[in-house]
Amino acid sequence: MRRRKLAWGGADLVVLAWVAFPVWWIVALSFKDPSTITDGSFWPTKWTLQNYEGIFKTSQFLLALRNSIGIAVISTVVAVVFASLAAYAIARLRFPGKKVLIGVSLLIAMFPQISLVTPLFNIERVIGLFNTWGGLIIPYIAFGLPFAIYTLAAFFREIPWELEKAAKVDGATPMQAFVRVVAPLAAPGVATSAILVFVVTWNEFLLAISLTSTTASRTVPAALAFFTGASQFQNPIGSIAAAAVIITIPIVFFVLFFQRRIIAGLTSGAVKG
Amino acid sequence: MSDTLSLQAQPRVEAVRAPSRRRRLSEGARSERRLGWALCSPAAVIMLAVTAYPLAYAVYLSLERYDLRFPRQSHFVGYANYQAVLTSGFWWHDFLVTVVITAASVSIEFILGMVFALMMHRTIVGRNALRTAILIPYGIVTVVAAFSWQYAWTPATGYLAGLLPSSAAPLTNTWQAVGIIILAEVWKTTPFMALLLLAGLALVPNDLLNAAKMDGASAWQRFVRITLPLMKPAILVAVLFRTLDAFRIFDNIYILTQGAHGTGSVSILGYDNLFEALNLGIGSAISVLIFIAVGIIAFVMIRGFGTAVPGSENL
Amino acid sequence: MTRLLRRVRVWGARRLLASVAGLALLSPLLASCGGSAGASSGPVVLNFYNFPDPSGAVQTAANDCSARSHGRYRIIYQKLPTSADGQREQLVRRLAAHDDTMDILGLDVTWEAEFAEAHWIVPWTGRYKQEAERGTLPGPLKTAIWKGQLVAVPYNSNTQLLWYRNDLVPHPPRTWAQMLQVAEHLARQGKPHYIEIQGAQYEGITVWFNTLVASAGGSILNASSTAPRLGRPALKALQIMADLAHSPAADPSLANQQEDQNRLAMEAGTAAFELNYPFVYPSMKADKPQLFKHFKWTLYPRVDPSRLAAVTIGGIDLAISAYSRHRSLAFQAALCLRDRHNQLLAAVEGGLPPTLESIYAHPTKSFVAEYPFYKEIAYELRTASVRPKTPAYQNVSIVISHLLSPPSGIRPRQTLQAMRAQLVNALQDKGLIP
Repeated sequence: MRRRKLAWGGADLVVLAWVAFPVWWIVALSFKDPSTITDGSFWPTKWTLQNYEGIFKTSQFLLALRNSIGIAVISTVVAVVFASLAAYAIARLRFPGKKVLIGVSLLIAMFPQISLVTPLFNIERVIGLFNTWGGLIIPYIAFGLPFAIYTLAAFFREIPWELEKAAKVDGATPMQAFVRVVAPLAAPGVATSAILVFVVTWNEFLLAISLTSTTASRTVPAALAFFTGASQFQNPIGSIAAAAVIITIPIVFFVLFFQRRIIAGLTSGAVKG
Repeated sequence: MSDTLSLQAQPRVEAVRAPSRRRRLSEGARSERRLGWALCSPAAVIMLAVTAYPLAYAVYLSLERYDLRFPRQSHFVGYANYQAVLTSGFWWHDFLVTVVITAASVSIEFILGMVFALMMHRTIVGRNALRTAILIPYGIVTVVAAFSWQYAWTPATGYLAGLLPSSAAPLTNTWQAVGIIILAEVWKTTPFMALLLLAGLALVPNDLLNAAKMDGASAWQRFVRITLPLMKPAILVAVLFRTLDAFRIFDNIYILTQGAHGTGSVSILGYDNLFEALNLGIGSAISVLIFIAVGIIAFVMIRGFGTAVPGSENL
Repeated sequence: MTRLLRRVRVWGARRLLASVAGLALLSPLLASCGGSAGASSGPVVLNFYNFPDPSGAVQTAANDCSARSHGRYRIIYQKLPTSADGQREQLVRRLAAHDDTMDILGLDVTWEAEFAEAHWIVPWTGRYKQEAERGTLPGPLKTAIWKGQLVAVPYNSNTQLLWYRNDLVPHPPRTWAQMLQVAEHLARQGKPHYIEIQGAQYEGITVWFNTLVASAGGSILNASSTAPRLGRPALKALQIMADLAHSPAADPSLANQQEDQNRLAMEAGTAAFELNYPFVYPSMKADKPQLFKHFKWTLYPRVDPSRLAAVTIGGIDLAISAYSRHRSLAFQAALCLRDRHNQLLAAVEGGLPPTLESIYAHPTKSFVAEYPFYKEIAYELRTASVRPKTPAYQNVSIVISHLLSPPSGIRPRQTLQAMRAQLVNALQDKGLIP
């Protein structure tokens, strides 16, 4: 038993090292000072907070962080609300066009996003959405939806709906049944899909570099391309690393605190086919 | 946003459908239908608004000679852009690179994902910590991870490059660089594969495995004969989604090599022709071809292997 | 009923609370969304799109000119991405959409033909033209002319020098052949010997090739930029590039190196020579004071011992958007942004070589202190070469960089043939770019 435990522990450590390497490397770079950033050493030889001070000193990064948070939160909330409605209908109701809706979602999930960039840019310019929060939020909702609909539809199918009926039999009004029975039952699924949609929008890069042009709407992944070194030709490795670490923090936070939820969301009721 | 699509197949147990008993009552059926449409319409409207016009516009542009720099020369050219793309060595090279990256990363992810899934399922030490750790790459911003790999493999800044003999620069050699792109892709997306497989593993009944054990089947035999076949639906869904996703690979290459030294994928080729050459006709033709390729992959996997997709049954 | 409800709550409520708390934690960070509303009164707002300048010189110049306009205009400096490709992408996307909120555009010296041909920028005429040309060095001025018209005004220039370590190389080489010899000699002695140059697959390697072809007396395209010229000078250039790539003088990561990797390699002490822009000088001074004592510069090496090197010119030209609603104010503002005062500022603060003759002829003290190599720069700017001027420049450059990188893959005759064929396609804007 002891040997088996050791073997499992060893295997766990290998996985841990594999997962941690790139994360550690960017953290290490972010703490290296400019004279040692090229030494290639695994552990920073001279620790410094200079890179972090640098990015927080200019409005460039702070504004991008504000945009990232705002855009991701709004997209997530709207996508999850819309997806909940649609998923409820898919899981519980009979109506023609259901397959079409699912087909369309699947199509959108497969869509090569580069082909969207030019037309989206043109439309957004005309209707004044270019370089605004809305200009990113709307496509993010559209791309978050298929994913949220699948997760939630699967989740809703698993919900013990007979409890709702039981509540009504017990004399609850439909409203009470919804608020006190259905909503709490559905909440974990909704929260999970919210986290997953948030991760997706937080990650997005291609549209973020294409549909923004100033700090009014640029998100952090896109803002990395605007960091400058000491002069025109110098690479801002330290600043990029520091900014990268900052935008990783919420992700680590979600993973640490909602590990079970995320795993359940990605697998919930899934693949029983 | 591309690497996180989860797919839920149909649960066999149908949810209780209170209204279905009243199906014969046309009034009830009609109101159910109206409610269904009403609930779905916000999602449907926004998805179509964002994608329908761009898709149609891309198809239209792909039939035009349209270079942003020479707007006055624009005219209809039929399928000439498709001909130009399909007879170009650049397209076929990048297509090959894309296929290699897709095939290699999906197969490696499948094996590694299976190992991770088995570990998460079976480990007796630090189960929660292991699950948390495996989730981390899934959440990390792709661009961030790509920067990290790039710095690690570049001789001037890198730890990994420093481990190589005589400060070699692997990112400048086509197939070594493709290897690093695959590594970055595998690192980032294996958790997704592992979690879908874990869901499949949870469905393998333990008593069946125990019975096989009693009959003297080895661990490997049990895995191949019992676990794998029972997991087939989960495997197919995981592989389908990762394949569709890997075929569109963009972020990792954009940061790691910018597609230099023959490491471009078809998405990078499309991007360069759209935004570097400003040739919207050719660029749109490439986009449409990527879309068609992705569609073919999906069709083959769904029809050919019977991969379960939402909407394919029991709805 | 109550038991039932409790069951339900236990099932989900705790998790919901936890998730909501997570989002709520983030919400105070949300500020209102900033929009850019057009001012209805007061000075006219001129949007100035330029590369992101880390030194602050561009911002200072914008403020300074706004103040000097006495309330007629206010210049807003809008930063473009760091990479030239990223800058062009942003500009083009907005111009193609006829964006009328762009006024002054900082263009890389290779984009003028493309932007002018697409009618995205307007020609300079009359007194604006006169003022733009007055005292401007001929090399930089050449970059701003397309089809006989002045389509932009040179803002800053740039040119590469040969940087070397005088502890390893007491007498700097004058030609490529000599430099290779010295490097190989150092290699045999086991001393640092690399020649640092831009070999990655990007614009930088096109610059290197253009310099070599021009220094050999040739050009990449013919005079009207309608067909490739290449010929023997190009063959000579390819030969030099291949020779370097196969000699011990080549940095092992040559095929991945851009300007900054060159700088870092030189600072790491593995190189004896470096062909690079003047930004390496202040950086060496700050990062490696020991090496800095031996860090010297000279003119770019020649290809042909009897012919001056013709180093490719870089830098930024300012152009006025065709969709600007305040053209004449934009012309005035652009002239102010690049006047003697502001160019000196950009040179001293930002390390950008000026384009005005007088700054080199009558240098100020601070300029000499920051720019000890100003004479060499001015000399090279007078004999500089310009990259091919064609609206299809981007295609031309991509073809060249793809054929030349990695440099170890160059087989001069075959590469030349392939280049000729692919350039013909690129100039006609036919087919795909790689």
